Amino acid sequence: MKWDWVADHVPDLVELTGQHAYLALLPVLFGLLISVPLGVLCVRWPKLYPPVFGGANLLYALPSIALFIVLIDYTGLTSWTAIIPLTLYTFSVLIPNVVDGLRSVPDASRQAATAMGFGTTRRLVQIELPIAVPVIMAGLRVATVSSISMVSVAALVGLGGLGQLFTDGFQRDFPTEIIVGIMLTVLLAFVCDALLVLAQRLLTPWARARVASR
Amino acid sequence: MITYDRVTKRYPDGTVALDELSVECPAGEITVFVGTSGGGKTTALRMVNNMVEPTSGTVSIDGEDVRSRKPAQLRRGIGYVIQQVGLFPHRTIVDNIATVPYLLGWNKKRARARAMELMERVGLPSTMASRYAFQLSGGQQQRVGVARALAADPPVLLMDEPFSAVDPVVRAELQEELLRLQSELRKTIVFVTHDIDEAIKLGDRIGVFRTGGKLVQFGSPETLLTDPADEFVAAFLGRDRGIKRLSFLAAKGLPLRDRPVLPADSPSSGAASAAGDETWLLAVDAGRKPLGWVSTEDLAGTATIGDAPLHPIGHPFDVETDSLRAALDAAVLSPAGSAVGVDSGGAVVGVVSQEELGAAIRGGFGGGVT
Repeated sequence: MKWDWVADHVPDLVELTGQHAYLALLPVLFGLLISVPLGVLCVRWPKLYPPVFGGANLLYALPSIALFIVLIDYTGLTSWTAIIPLTLYTFSVLIPNVVDGLRSVPDASRQAATAMGFGTTRRLVQIELPIAVPVIMAGLRVATVSSISMVSVAALVGLGGLGQLFTDGFQRDFPTEIIVGIMLTVLLAFVCDALLVLAQRLLTPWARARVASR
Repeated sequence: MITYDRVTKRYPDGTVALDELSVECPAGEITVFVGTSGGGKTTALRMVNNMVEPTSGTVSIDGEDVRSRKPAQLRRGIGYVIQQVGLFPHRTIVDNIATVPYLLGWNKKRARARAMELMERVGLPSTMASRYAFQLSGGQQQRVGVARALAADPPVLLMDEPFSAVDPVVRAELQEELLRLQSELRKTIVFVTHDIDEAIKLGDRIGVFRTGGKLVQFGSPETLLTDPADEFVAAFLGRDRGIKRLSFLAAKGLPLRDRPVLPADSPSSGAASAAGDETWLLAVDAGRKPLGWVSTEDLAGTATIGDAPLHPIGHPFDVETDSLRAALDAAVLSPAGSAVGVDSGGAVVGVVSQEELGAAIRGGFGGGVT
């Protein structure tokens, strides 16, 4: 471990971490934006769910490196080459959680909402989605951490991020760079996860109290 | 007033949930729909707020077809209480109660003030306002359910087996509470239950439904108990129909004897003769509160009647407010075979024997219908 190398490269490491976070987190956001409406549709029309779920699982089985390479032909060395596959992975992680979350809404609460004069959209936004938040959040945490981990692979096709430290470190046979890359990736994942936990606590005080009372 | 005019509900598979229902639920009264499962009572209830649409016929409130209004608008004007309560787990109690006021566009302050007022009205401590549903007992949750239904002061209240999931003690409390609220609020209530005793206790009018969605009989509880339309209704009312009917006869006016009622410090020597041919004496304290029954056979060797073994009276009945059924029950429980009548302060007014009660019942006794 050569600490002076680390000290010399702080600005580079910060830039790579920022790039890594950007490449990993934007797909999580996009994945969420796709999963929620599609999950809502799957709950509304249950026949839709098996093909969507099966398709999502297949997507997850595709090797990321293969997707990156295929996409280079179309999107070149832009961020999109990383963002598109990772969005698909996030989607396949999140869709079951969105559906399960919406299904966790007690039927009596849904019925009471209808009987009190909620329209379909208002019921979804004010009652069903808030009640689904804890389950969706659980999926979001997994998706976020795995996206941060997977985006390292993008460096193999030259897309940047902390993965560059691995490729560079291997080529130059320089372990310090690899170790720093691993540590920063884990640290980034840890910080993002902690932020999500914090957000969940603020968003769903009722769910926290429920666990505490058990 | 809610009017059902030849209302039928037939499902695509041919099942008939409701068959040509024509009935009027009077304004300001509690109409109870009771019956076997599959009798269509819940279907009928859910037609009032357009949660179920009739296949034919019309349901109207004050002459206006419920289907002529937008469902969401209609429902905000109709309170709805269900067995599973259906509170929103992510909202505090006060915000659960304020749901409909929020939907109607009230500002937060006004809606919450109204919700707090209702919490008090249904007997919930204001400290519960900021709690969540899972922190409340089943009975408390249902009180919230009732408060939520009343929040926007709707003229009509629909209640679908609201008290079926709580234990009998809490259920009785909630029933009393509903009657108390109703005496103040005078809502038009449709109440569905499978419990005939609940129907008799709460209903101003009762409709009995049979499997296949047929309304078999519609009338006051007394009418049903006295004159059931057919075997089905009679069987549904049960083998204690006669006893239940006594609930509608007041105990007020029963002949009460006070000769066996003696202070506990009365000397035993004179007690037997003072009581004449009575074989049981009722010992009372200085405030005439009943202490227990004393058999005249046990008086030998005692100084005062209070020294003899005291037998518990079971329960007394209130001579002003209780029914003949309560008086009869008190007499059946009593070792002396007599019921103890007390005033509102719990002081003994007199006693009445099973024989005297029997005579009063045979004579069509009634100090009036309660």
